[in-house]
Amino acid sequence: MPKIVVTGLGIVSALGVGKEVTLQHLRAGKTAVGKLHILQTKHDELPAGEVPLTDEELKQVIGLPVTEVTNRTTLLARVALKEALADARITPSVCDNIALISGNTVGGMEKSELYYRDFLNNDSRNEYISMHDCGACTEMVAQEYPGQFKLTSTISTACSSAANAVILGANLIKDGMAEIAVVGGTECLSKFHLNGFNSLMILDNEPCKPFDAQRNGLNLGEGAAYLVIETEESALRRNVPILCELSGYGNSCDAFHQTATSPNGEGPYLAMCKALKNSGLTINDIDYINAHGTGTPNNDECEGIAMMRIFGDKMPPISSTKAYTGHTTSAAGSVESVISILALRHQFIPANLHYQSAIEGHTFKPVTEVMENVSLKHVLTNSFGFGGNDSSCIFSAYREQGTEDRIQNSEFKIQKAEETAHSSQLIAHSSRPTYIRAASQISLQAPLSEQWFDAPVIPGTLNCDSQEADYAQFINPMAARRMGKLFKRAIATAVDVLRKGNCEQVDAIVTGTGLGCIEHTEKFLHAMLENDEECLPPTHFMQSTHNTISSQMALHLKCHGYNCTYSHRGTSFDSSLLDVLSQMHLGDIHTAMVCGHEEMTPNYFKLLGKIGYWKQDNCDEATLRRHDSKGSFSGSCSLNLLLTDTASADNLCAIRAMEMLYQPDNEQLKRCLQQMLQGQNLTIDDLSAVVMGLSGDENNDEVYLNFAQQQCANTPIVWYKHLFGESYCASAFGVYTGAVILKKQRIPNHLIYKGVTNEGSPVKHVLVYNHFQNKDHSLILLSSC
Amino acid sequence: MEELIYKLKEEIIDVLNLEGMKPEDIDENAPLFGEGLGLDSIDALELIVLLEKNYGIKLKNANEGKEIFKSVRVMADYINEHKTK
Repeated sequence: MPKIVVTGLGIVSALGVGKEVTLQHLRAGKTAVGKLHILQTKHDELPAGEVPLTDEELKQVIGLPVTEVTNRTTLLARVALKEALADARITPSVCDNIALISGNTVGGMEKSELYYRDFLNNDSRNEYISMHDCGACTEMVAQEYPGQFKLTSTISTACSSAANAVILGANLIKDGMAEIAVVGGTECLSKFHLNGFNSLMILDNEPCKPFDAQRNGLNLGEGAAYLVIETEESALRRNVPILCELSGYGNSCDAFHQTATSPNGEGPYLAMCKALKNSGLTINDIDYINAHGTGTPNNDECEGIAMMRIFGDKMPPISSTKAYTGHTTSAAGSVESVISILALRHQFIPANLHYQSAIEGHTFKPVTEVMENVSLKHVLTNSFGFGGNDSSCIFSAYREQGTEDRIQNSEFKIQKAEETAHSSQLIAHSSRPTYIRAASQISLQAPLSEQWFDAPVIPGTLNCDSQEADYAQFINPMAARRMGKLFKRAIATAVDVLRKGNCEQVDAIVTGTGLGCIEHTEKFLHAMLENDEECLPPTHFMQSTHNTISSQMALHLKCHGYNCTYSHRGTSFDSSLLDVLSQMHLGDIHTAMVCGHEEMTPNYFKLLGKIGYWKQDNCDEATLRRHDSKGSFSGSCSLNLLLTDTASADNLCAIRAMEMLYQPDNEQLKRCLQQMLQGQNLTIDDLSAVVMGLSGDENNDEVYLNFAQQQCANTPIVWYKHLFGESYCASAFGVYTGAVILKKQRIPNHLIYKGVTNEGSPVKHVLVYNHFQNKDHSLILLSSC
Repeated sequence: MEELIYKLKEEIIDVLNLEGMKPEDIDENAPLFGEGLGLDSIDALELIVLLEKNYGIKLKNANEGKEIFKSVRVMADYINEHKTK
């Protein structure tokens, strides 16, 4: 397995812009948590770690005109990303295989909460509607660097988002899907999540006191941080200084409660154990733990217990740095990774501020004064999120000695570059097979069945909702009482797909959802605006975080395995599949549930309609086929696919290869498709069909039809959105359609958009092609078993 | 008092979405959490919102709920004593 190293860091937080100022504050033991000045809220009694720059000042930092229409989450990301890319000397000419993986949860909410009434009642703020979702922030960052990124994605696992971005980036590199990954997270303060955390009664009115017996909650913060990671070979070839090694990481689900950690800290325990195992290190090797340590009674107690379970009486020095920055939520994983790496590089341990006495039952004390001149080789950092999405990463001093000196030595440099040119080619796509074992869906079609394949329901109306299943057989009433329809659909399809696949448990649950439970998000937003930030229902806030769907499934199935959520607009499902495939290729997991879950509400339907997502009148098949106007018709969708690496005659199909591309031109798409087919000893002529997301939207369909014309003019085209509708996760139904076609060995006429299939001849290979607004594209090659 | 207890039961059913339950189904002397109704910490937070919204009672700390939410009757007593609206 190639060694993954860190070559660039960028950070912005309440401590200021950049690594230098961050380091100064940490060494001086100086907190940046204080009174809110920029966020306008009724609750300015709550201390917070606010980045001390207005939006206009942030724009100046990155040289943007003040008139630029954007949001604060994106601005923070751009500030940190700029530093990280410069640090690692990344330019478009450096490498054509760089992934950008960014985590965020609040997305453009800080603007949506300001303009929500305008969104609904007039057209004055329409430009902010399309930048509301999490994926939009990543997209706005990526588009500033044309040609820089090969693929982009967005992770949304609440407070562990950025740590999970680090993990995905490393897995993609190890699997050969990316050469370099820029990974991290971003989050700005918003009234929405300030009030949300307040409704959960976990905010302290005073500066937070992590691990202290008298701790009384957390202080929210904001910020962004990115790491550039790559293989050691790549870094040496590029002659960039290696800052440290990413030696291990682990992700596990607590599967206990939506917001609380289990009393024995099972999820945190498993995440740390996995990270240690992944790194090949032992407990004696860890020299410092940068704890999650939020300051809430529950987190600190349980995290402490989990650490004690692992380290016993060999507990390394521990500190939480949340009291410096506030809890930067989705950015915390990368903010604290940067802090951990600064500690490692400068051989110091930041102090755990405001600590006085130990929590009952804790046998350790955190570091209360800055420790200088310590010897740090391995640092572990924890990031835990709502829903028990727990992740740990280990950063280690780069083991090769005198790397930076060596880079000064040009003679050695050249020699090293030649050596490594070969080894980098050794990293190629693994050929470990993956299969779709079973599928379960709830959509506009008959629920939990494959009736749609031979006897489809023809939707034809503008805003269709799913046909519900009988949920009483899947969920007991006490558990169901807080669940919106999306949770019920997710759990029903999860239980159903396991049953269909004759499988008891999975190693991973990975979910794509562009908007999460938008119904709950709307309810909380509405209540916040109507009640003037008072008396807010915690349930709605809790359900609004996008990762609750995936973690509810884990909770229901008691699945402690890998758990992650992708909120990357029209390729949210594709991102989830890419994640699972990389882990299966690496042999880290053997079974997984890959899901797409999306719902639509009347208000959000109206808002997206205003910006051209939906047709305003007829949506019948003939209209969709004409594709001469904007928009499609909206469908809500829930699909669970069960993946396995075990061959079986019962499997629906094999997944042979997958690629995701950001803003490719025709040539890049062609090259990618050719390489993908060649890798499997296939040609275009071997494809029985190409499944595409044609939806009736003139711009969307033009991209698909252009692809067909340029790449596979003679291959029959299959479509599916005329049956399942359009949504951010609709592409899940493309993969599903391809899989069922391969299983049943025929293509019904109602699925054929164009072309003729040879009846009776075997259906061997199907390409699934998806794109979102011609930005993110994905190619998935499926074959019959 | 009995009137308040009945009203409170209706409000609890509504705010906690206890579908299919009627006020008569809740024993006002039984524990709300754990064995009785089987509510959890999120329900406790919803009940805190209920106290503030409907009775003008503001709790500072979620822990205070532990005593107040022992049963519907205890909750009603507390409301009688502390309500501001």
